[in-house]
Amino acid sequence: MLELAIGIILGCCALGAGCAMIAGIGPGIGEGNAVAKACEAIGRQPESRGAVTTTMIMGCAIAETTGLYALIIAILLIFLAPNQLVNVLLRALGR
Amino acid sequence: MLERIDPTVKRMTCYIAACALVLSALMEAVYLVIGAWNMTVLWGNLLGAAVAVLNFFLMGLTIQRSLGLSEEDAKKFIRVSQSLRMLMILVVCAIGAAIPAVFDLLAVVLPQFFPRIGTMLWPKFEKNKQTNE
Repeated sequence: MLELAIGIILGCCALGAGCAMIAGIGPGIGEGNAVAKACEAIGRQPESRGAVTTTMIMGCAIAETTGLYALIIAILLIFLAPNQLVNVLLRALGR
Repeated sequence: MLERIDPTVKRMTCYIAACALVLSALMEAVYLVIGAWNMTVLWGNLLGAAVAVLNFFLMGLTIQRSLGLSEEDAKKFIRVSQSLRMLMILVVCAIGAAIPAVFDLLAVVLPQFFPRIGTMLWPKFEKNKQTNE
């Protein structure tokens, strides 16, 4: 029974980490669209390249943080949460 | 090689590196104050901050290169780059978690947000610079 409970905890942590990483798809698509539009803007006004690059880097850094949040949650769920949750379970069972 | 890097990318990477340095010092100070500081925190912080700055630099290089491509190619290029950079951070965090005797996981993870804080402070920095000029 204990093995089953630990298995469920590990499975749920892995599932949670996988679900969290769905959020990692968004920034890639968003950044891709933003850069595509920046290419278009530079094609139209080549002299604005410097300003567009600065704005793009800022925008991409901000967009990427969303993906990073998801990644960090997934990392914590994979590496930290299972140990903590198993410890809580064992403590509750008095072992 | 270095001459081919856009001055904007160089300037912003230097700014982010400076931000990471200041915020790392602040993080170490907080660890010291709460009494949780040890060498694993320092090594973890160094690893995390280095990877955060590298990630930002690679993002800048990707943007610089993708601005010279066609729209569709730029989209694909930036998506691949983003996935690979995420993988790099995941590997580094896994290393941080796998060797707890050398790296503190939290100290590896927290510096990943330093570029975001630096980006948030950038408009103020630019405004101050313009005022001084």
